[in-house]
Amino acid sequence: MIMARASAFRAFRISPLLLLAWAPLAWMVWLAVRVPQGEALTLGLGNFSDLLGSGPFLRYTLNSAIVAAWVVGLNLLFASLVGYALARGRFRGKRPLLFSILITLMVPRQVTMIPVYLMAARMHMIDTYPALIAPFAVDAFNIFLMRQYMQQIPPEMEDAARVDGASELRIFFQVVMPMVRPALAVMGVNTFLVNWNSFLYPLVLTNSDAMRTLPVGLALYAQGEHSVDWGHLMAGALIGTLPVLAAFLAFQKQIVEGILAGTGK
Amino acid sequence: MNRRMWLAAALLLAAGTVSCGGGGGGGGAGGKTTVVFWEFFPAEVIRPIVDKFEATHPGVKVDLQQLTWQGGLEKISASVAAGTAPDLCEIGSTWEAKFASSGALEDWTADVQIMLPRHRLWEAVKFDDRYFGIPWVMGTRALFYNKELFARAGLDSSKAPETWSQVLADSRKIRALGESTYGFGLQSGDRYKLFKKFMSLAWSNGGEILSPDQKRVVFDSPQNLAALKFYLSLRPYALMDRQETLDQGFKEGRIGMQVSGAWLFKTIPHDAPSLRYGVGLVPAPPGGRHASFAGAEILASFKGSRHPREALMLAQFLVAPENAAALCQAAKDVQPSAVGSEDSDYYRQRPMEQIFVRQLETAVAPPNISQWVDMEGAIEEALEEALHDKVTPEQALKNAQRKLEALLAAKGS
Amino acid sequence: MSARGGAGAGLGFWGPAFLLPWLVSFGLFGAYPLLFSLRLSFMSYNPLNAAAQKFVGLQNYVTAFHDPVFATALRNTALFALGTLPVTTTLALGLALLLERKFPMRDALRAGFFFPSVVSAVVISILFKQIYSPYGLLNSTLRGAGFSPPHWLEDPRLALPCIMVMDVWSSVGYYAVLFLAALQAVPAEIRESAVLEGASALRVFRSVLLPQLQPMLLFVLVINTIRSLQIFTEVFVMTSGGPMHSTTTAVYHLYDQAFFRFEHGYASALAYILTGIILVVSLLQARFLQFGEGTGT
Repeated sequence: MIMARASAFRAFRISPLLLLAWAPLAWMVWLAVRVPQGEALTLGLGNFSDLLGSGPFLRYTLNSAIVAAWVVGLNLLFASLVGYALARGRFRGKRPLLFSILITLMVPRQVTMIPVYLMAARMHMIDTYPALIAPFAVDAFNIFLMRQYMQQIPPEMEDAARVDGASELRIFFQVVMPMVRPALAVMGVNTFLVNWNSFLYPLVLTNSDAMRTLPVGLALYAQGEHSVDWGHLMAGALIGTLPVLAAFLAFQKQIVEGILAGTGK
Repeated sequence: MNRRMWLAAALLLAAGTVSCGGGGGGGGAGGKTTVVFWEFFPAEVIRPIVDKFEATHPGVKVDLQQLTWQGGLEKISASVAAGTAPDLCEIGSTWEAKFASSGALEDWTADVQIMLPRHRLWEAVKFDDRYFGIPWVMGTRALFYNKELFARAGLDSSKAPETWSQVLADSRKIRALGESTYGFGLQSGDRYKLFKKFMSLAWSNGGEILSPDQKRVVFDSPQNLAALKFYLSLRPYALMDRQETLDQGFKEGRIGMQVSGAWLFKTIPHDAPSLRYGVGLVPAPPGGRHASFAGAEILASFKGSRHPREALMLAQFLVAPENAAALCQAAKDVQPSAVGSEDSDYYRQRPMEQIFVRQLETAVAPPNISQWVDMEGAIEEALEEALHDKVTPEQALKNAQRKLEALLAAKGS
Repeated sequence: MSARGGAGAGLGFWGPAFLLPWLVSFGLFGAYPLLFSLRLSFMSYNPLNAAAQKFVGLQNYVTAFHDPVFATALRNTALFALGTLPVTTTLALGLALLLERKFPMRDALRAGFFFPSVVSAVVISILFKQIYSPYGLLNSTLRGAGFSPPHWLEDPRLALPCIMVMDVWSSVGYYAVLFLAALQAVPAEIRESAVLEGASALRVFRSVLLPQLQPMLLFVLVINTIRSLQIFTEVFVMTSGGPMHSTTTAVYHLYDQAFFRFEHGYASALAYILTGIILVVSLLQARFLQFGEGTGT
């Protein structure tokens, strides 16, 4: 009884800390929904409708969604394929291949940015969806994640299917993929978050409003004459945060799992 | 039978669509030339003028694309590098030398001769005695002041302060009004902007950056030192921040004076319709002239354009006084480069906007030299160090002088 | 071999075929750019003036060595890492200890602390730019309380610490999650036996938990350092590297050189130097942990 009360007290004690953690976010929401009308202040969604109605923000949001959907989809397919081949396949050159993945994980993205930019420029791909998608379509960390997971599942089911004469493609899609669904969820949600929030590459690889993603559009809107237009800025920030919140509420466990996968646990 | 009828109907429909589509665009495929034009004004401002061009030039179609100031330079540069530059492009005057020196721009020297006396600021497009573009519209900075704060501080709110000592005294009185009220909005380290504010004062005091023949650096001068000391003397009474924050503070009625741009004529009526404010020339020291920064939007064409003749035609149309005036009146943040514009009805009815056109008469353009962007950076770095008391004003000018000399010597490398 | 069947049969022809996406991706976006930018780093290369590109040997690296802004950027990076690390780690560990035991609404509270760390850096930077602005949340509050507040982001001594505070706020939840996982991996018997021996809470923490947490502490140290080396978005949005380069970071300087001044050769050399530094840190990480890094932004 006393123990229970003590632990309820713990929750109570922590709540001021939580308040501190959430105060900036609450401030963001407050600035976004407050609409100055003359001297009086009213609450409303005016900032949101301004932003989505006139400017390019709807376009930014759409671009972010399209790019994120493609990158997540391609990773679900390709990273699983590659992870599967690395987990099960026996072939020469596996070690250098694993090394290429390790190298990719260690080298910062900034070092490949200039050549990728020049390559895209030469191929007239600056400001196109493929330029925003292709460099991220097969993520090294995701391959690593899938390989780890697939090594842990027993190969008996695949072998049984093989004995039944199923093709390797069929085995992959109908036997392996259903078994690794939990890992796909981990990979999917984390890839979504990273891509939805990514900034430097899309900043460099786009230069028109028609192709900018939400973080880039928002960051550039926050410069120059709009840099103090807090109401609209916060509305934009909130629009960018809502999908993250939704993903967080639905897949919190998987997000944590993805983070822990990077610690070697 | 039934299926065949459907097929026929579908074919007919398809044919109809094709022929209709062909009817609209057929002329384009036939005799029309498409000129690709990149520029920075919002579509609603520029589109009507381009429509007028298309109406009067039936053989030419304009493919209009908006650039943004944040990504524009990068986009133009990338397209030049990739060989996909537009036929006609708007270029900021401080970038002009960079493009001209790398040989990327079309030489229009022969074509612009007859226009020379009718427009201002040709030095912005002149490089090695050749003309690589046409000054389209101009921009400058002037002094904005808050009449209400002036009245509250017991100052004359009917006209803007004109001298340095007046500005300093007024700033002090306004600052005394309250903790969140500032006498002056002082530009701090803001790239591409700080030097404009400082040089306005330096030019007013007879200072310069380079000698007229651009062979020597003359930045470390008594005139510039006096200007810097005046700038620094405003600090106790000023809000020191970036341009946008200063503009916001001014609109919220917390800043007595600031030097800013004509974009405020567009944003004040929208953001702060009840603000009572006035405009004056940039203040000058005793015996000085009211100088300011002069920038131009330039129209230029890149080498390798497939339609150089049409690009020039479009440029000449856009800079024609009535078209440039229409653009300036819609955009508000720029002024026409045509000589005599300040006497037009439009500006006579709008005295505050007219001040900007008058300010252009004494405004100075920075040297048109390929290292300018770096020189600008060197000046701003030195000013920032003085603003934050890291070095004395004397030392700041010496530092800038040294860096500018190194940059000038590196010419051609 | 594949005909034999049984466990781990290999995929025969399909194995290499399944690897194809990675091979293409690594070739196009990994190996080729790495080699190309290595080449660029020995060149004077400006796309505005493609005709003037030439090999300059080690010149770019020499320039970097003498570049005062790059030196400032590295110093800022070090300050950032050294300043945030102890604070973030202590707070995250404390939070993890608070959230470790069972109590009502524990999971909701954990989620509440964790959430800020998944919000986009752009969003957080814009939010804090407002908070720090002259008439923002912080200064209005301070003025209301009768203080005369400083200009946070416009003061060269305060701008970087301001960004650091924001970073601590936004990443504590992330590290707390890591520490929570590490705490839960501590075998219950070890802890219980220490408690039974009558050790104080502090003692239990110091002599029982801390040694167990050591690998995770190292990991946090390494990723925080790498993250500091790659800080860019916050600076881009909030300060553009100013005032007086007081918030210029290594990646911001690289971006500035590559995409404002178009000195692709010099920027590539900077990128390689940065990579060298990060590789050294990463190798340390790889020594302590077998494989892998956090997120791949």
